[in-house]
This record gives sequence, structure tokens and C-alpha cells, in this order.
Amino acid sequence: MILRILPALALTTAAARAEPPQVVATFSIIGDIAAQVGGDRIALEVLVGPDADAHVYEPRPRDAMAVARADVVLTNGLGFEGFVDRLIAASGTDAAVVALTDGAEVLEDPAGGHYHYIGDQAIWHAGAHDPHAWQAVPHARAYVATIADAFCDADADGCEAYRANAAAYTQELDMLDAEIREAVDALPEDCRTVVVAHNAFRYFQEEYGIAFLSPQGLSTESEASAADVAGLIREIRDTNARAIFAENISDTRLLDRIAAETGLELAGTLYSDALSGPDGPAPTYLSMMRHNADTITSALAAE
Amino acid sequence: MFRTFAGAGTLALMVAGAAVAQDSQDHDHAHEGDVTLYRLFVGDHASGQVTAIDLSEPENRWSFETTGQTKLFPVAGGAVVAAVQSDDDAVHFFSSGISFEDHGDHADISVTDPEAFEASLTGPRPFHLVDHDGKIVINYDRGGYAEVLDSAALARGEIDPQRFPQSRAHHGFVAPMGASWLSTVASDEEVTGDASVPRLGLQAFDAEGNATGDLATCTAIHGEAFSGAYLVAGCREGVLTATASGERVEYEMLEYPADLPQDLTTGTILGSNAIQMFLGNHGPDGLVVIDPVDEPHFTRIALPFRRVDFALDPVQPANAFVLTEDGSLHRINMLSAEIEQSARVTEPYSMDGHWNDARPRIAMAGDEVVVTDPNAGLVRRISTEDLSELGTIEVEGTPYNIAVAGGSGVIH
Repeated sequence: MILRILPALALTTAAARAEPPQVVATFSIIGDIAAQVGGDRIALEVLVGPDADAHVYEPRPRDAMAVARADVVLTNGLGFEGFVDRLIAASGTDAAVVALTDGAEVLEDPAGGHYHYIGDQAIWHAGAHDPHAWQAVPHARAYVATIADAFCDADADGCEAYRANAAAYTQELDMLDAEIREAVDALPEDCRTVVVAHNAFRYFQEEYGIAFLSPQGLSTESEASAADVAGLIREIRDTNARAIFAENISDTRLLDRIAAETGLELAGTLYSDALSGPDGPAPTYLSMMRHNADTITSALAAE
Repeated sequence: MFRTFAGAGTLALMVAGAAVAQDSQDHDHAHEGDVTLYRLFVGDHASGQVTAIDLSEPENRWSFETTGQTKLFPVAGGAVVAAVQSDDDAVHFFSSGISFEDHGDHADISVTDPEAFEASLTGPRPFHLVDHDGKIVINYDRGGYAEVLDSAALARGEIDPQRFPQSRAHHGFVAPMGASWLSTVASDEEVTGDASVPRLGLQAFDAEGNATGDLATCTAIHGEAFSGAYLVAGCREGVLTATASGERVEYEMLEYPADLPQDLTTGTILGSNAIQMFLGNHGPDGLVVIDPVDEPHFTRIALPFRRVDFALDPVQPANAFVLTEDGSLHRINMLSAEIEQSARVTEPYSMDGHWNDARPRIAMAGDEVVVTDPNAGLVRRISTEDLSELGTIEVEGTPYNIAVAGGSGVIH
């Protein structure tokens, strides 16, 4: 699945400069952020589009060809796009491959890491990190800065425009961040726990103070065991979790079961790892975060 | 961790770096070294001899006897090599001596001598072997059943086959697909003499062989491969794709397009481990890149001579290698569907004659293509980069089928 977001260039503008930098973004959320920074100076292709799950995406030949001709490949990193290393290897690209979480302060996967035993010595190998950094707006600001740097490296002539776009977009992110904090702050302190399908909202939790319970791990590839589900149901009762949400990239069968056993009702759909289509409530990063915050706080405020 | 440096001399490992090498991961200790080791398993054309040879130190070799001519498959992540002896109703297994333990950010490698398993499988004409999703499935063409092995158990040396019954014996395959088992289905029409039982298509079953879905037509179905979310198989009508959708299996027939040479079909298919795409034969002197999702679904590559054997490169996943009967090895870019480079690597081996005559077979070993040269009694080591010959390895008898186990890992 490739979405082409071609700049609406006037012919005179296109003729006045060389080909626009070819940019590939691995999935819809960073694709939108890249479009905000790149504006009409870049030709952008997004590999995993709206409502699609990058955790389990299988790259296609056309994806490899897009990466092969790219000047810049934007990835989230931290293992979020399980396909990306083999895709890049297959493409033979010489593009700059930029992992946006390299510029963000990231959280460790609570279930990550493992021990080796060498003789009697137990050696800890640090585990993976949680890749869903965009779920806190300050990290999205870091993504913006990293993208602007990458575009400046690829297209020095456009650097001023990229920096200006990044600055304007960062102001919008600042306003968004303040809105979310204000909405959460208005909730009672003991009424801030919700349930989602997979553990994609830890950054939101750390930044804004909403606690998320989930039967699945960091990746939708993982499957919840019966013991996981039973433990979650106990936790929902113990923590007085007040709302349960579907995700746009997951089916709701497991959540339906949990809702039935706990008496909670599905209170809406959150956009975790992908934007909605253009007619949905979350076609951009800004609208996605507003939609998620509104959906969560409205459900928790309702009594 | 166990390392047994035995066999015909000390097992020399390609240890990169100093005795204490550093990997780039978030580890709080140093490793002994990064190790790359490929071990070839070469089956003889005339006898049941299988020779295991370390690519980097070919004097390290081990010889095993099986019942008859073997088709060799690396299975269980390369920890085991299966030797299918279709004409002798047997399947033997060898521990490759090389296994990996995945730790996410790296894999640990352990190396011992290869060994033959004491237990083997027997049954009427074992043929196609499918290794997918933790299961190894061997179809018995004259038995009317397949046997299913658990991959992890096999890697531990345990052979405990579960039988999957079919309604009629035929030259087919069985493969896991999500919660289902897919099996080829044969017609019930009578055949005489050595005629093949006609094959109708593919159908979903439960583990006991009870149908759980409708037959998907795929006349004369042959040649199965997995890539990404798809299984594909060649048919007279085109290429059938199958993918799991919840509890069900969805099928689509990709018909051969009108702009391809007509009356040619695909019957041998390989699946990429990196990009969701396949490479199949298309007639004797063509290959076809198959994209199961996007159009064009088929992109044909015309070969200068008839194909002898072909393989996909897991290291450079856009690349495939095909040997043609003039003795030339060609490197193909599957994304552009072009032959990028060709070089003569063996004397000519005509495709006239019996299909099972002794002709070269190829396999991938890191940045080398290893090519059996039966008439010369050699395995030729060919660089994937420039197709130059890096060396030769003498093999007793008539080297024919070849499988490779190994790769790179870390020894702590």
C-alpha cells in the first residue's frame, strides 16, 4: 500500500528547481508530520496507510522500489516497523534512513530484556524500547526537529522553508499539548484509568497521567493468553478502570469479551498506530491526538 | 553453550574481530566473537551418501549413509537437514550442528559436529516438504496422507509425526495456514498404469483432515511457496494465492495475463523472506516474478537457455540466481525483473534427457552461491557480487542436491 502525496506544484515552480526530494515515510502518522515539514517541496510516499497496522505489515515489491528511489526514508524505529530492515536491504537504497525516535527520549519495553546464563553468571541483556513515542506531543516535536534536519541535509536549498514549516507546526503542537493537559487535569484524580487492546499508549500515560491497561503487549503481533486476560480483568476491577476503547488497527473480539466480563462498554475508537482515512475523525496527527484525548476524557467524565 | 571442535581437525570458525569482540547492542558485557559458519550438505546422485562440509574449512567433513538418492532441505531454522528419499520411501534427518537462539537484537550461535538422527520416517513415496509456521509437513504421494512434525521438537531431536489423512493419494502438499491446514485435493477419476492422479486444487481442513472450507480450483496444482502473508501455488489457469483471514482462508486466482507466452505454466515457486513476492518458473526458459497483491501480478524474465535450477538470495533479497543449461549463472534483480550479470560457472548440462539426470543444483551460503557440478565431482563457490569463482570443493561420487545450514551469530 503506497499513498502518494505529491506536492501541488505550479509548473513554473517545478521547472525552477531540480526534482523535489523523494521522501518515504513508513506509516501514516509520520507521513503526516513529514508532509507538514516538507510542504510542497517534497514528493512523499507513505508505505502503510490509514487504518493499517505497521506492526504486521508485509512489504511489497512497489514499496522496495519506492525506497530504492528515495532520498530520505523516515522510520519510527525501535522495532515498530518489523519489516523495515529487510525492506531497506531488499531495495539496495542509498537514501538517508532516519529513525525519528533517535531524537526522542524513549521508554523501555516493560516486558523486554532477557537473561543469558554463562556458566553460573546471569547476564542481563537490555530489551526493546516502546516505539509508540508519538503518543505524547513533546515527542512529536522531537520528530519534527529530526525531520527538518533530514530534509535540510537532503535539500539545502529548501532548508529555510523546512525550518519555517517546522516552527509553525511546532506552535500548533504546543497548543495541542496544552489542550490535552487541560482536558486531563479537569478529570478527577481517581478516574483516570482506561483499557485498550494493545499497549500503545504508555507515552500518553507518562506525559498526561491517564493509565492504560491492555491485554496485549507493545506489538499487535503478540497474543494475550488466558492468564493475561484473567489478570487484566482483576486489574480493571482493582483500579476502577472506567472505560474501554477499540483501536482502529485491531479487531474488537478480545475487548468485547473483556467488556462483557467487566460490565464496561466500548466507549469509542482510539487511533493508536495509524491515522484514519480522510473522511474519518483522525486524518492528521493533530486531529488524531485531539480525537483520542476527547474520546478518553469524555468517557471518563461521563457518569 | 557447547562447542565441539571435532571431526576432521579443528573446526575453524570465521571469528570477526579480536578474541573479545564488541557488538553494537545494548549489552552490558562483551562477547567472545561474531561467528559466521556455513555448512554444506551434499547428496550423491547415485547413492544414499550425504556429505557435510564446512564451507570455510572444507577439510572438516562428515559422511552419512541414507537409503537412496536424497533431496535435501534445511528445516527448523537450519538446525536440521531433512533428506527426502522419494524412490526409497524414507526420510532421514541430520542435526546440522549449527543452531541459533534468537534474542531479538542478536542471535547466539552454537556449533557442534553434524549428526544423523537415529530415528527416521518411512512411507510410500515421500516428496514435497513444507516448512512453515513451526511445522514441517511431508506429503506421501502414494500413501494418501502427510506427516506433520513440530519444528522445535525436531530441532531437539524428537521425531513424533502426526498423520494428516487425505481422501486419495496423490503428488501434492499439505501446509499450515493460520488455524487451518491446506491440502491439495485429487480427483476421484480412475487412472491406469503410471498415470498421475489429476489434481483439482486446494482446500482447508482441520488437523484431522475434515474439510472446513470449499475447494479452490487450481488444476494440476504444483509448486507451493510462502512469502509474507501468502501461500501461492502454480495451476494450469494461473497462480492461486491463499491467505488467512480470521478463521477463514481467502483465495484468489491470478490468471496468466495475455501478454505472457501462452500455454506455459508455473510449477516451481520460491518465496522471498524479505518482500512479499515470489519467483517461479514460467515454462522451461523463463522465470516469472509474482506479486500477490499489486498489479502487474506477473513479470516475466526470459532466459537465454533452459533453466537448470534457481534460488533466492536471503542476504540481498532483491536478487535471485538461476543456472541455465549452457552452464551460465545469472544474477537477477527481481524488482526490475532483469538479468544483471551472467557468467559461465560449469560446463553445459543439457536439459534434454530424464528430469532426474545428474545436473547442477544451487544454494545460497551468505555472499556465495554454491553450485554442485556432478560431472566434475565438485562444489563450486561463486561470489554473489561478481559471479567469479572463489574456489572449488572436491566431493566424492557425483554431487547433486545441496542444502546449506548456518549463518552469523554471537558466541559469548
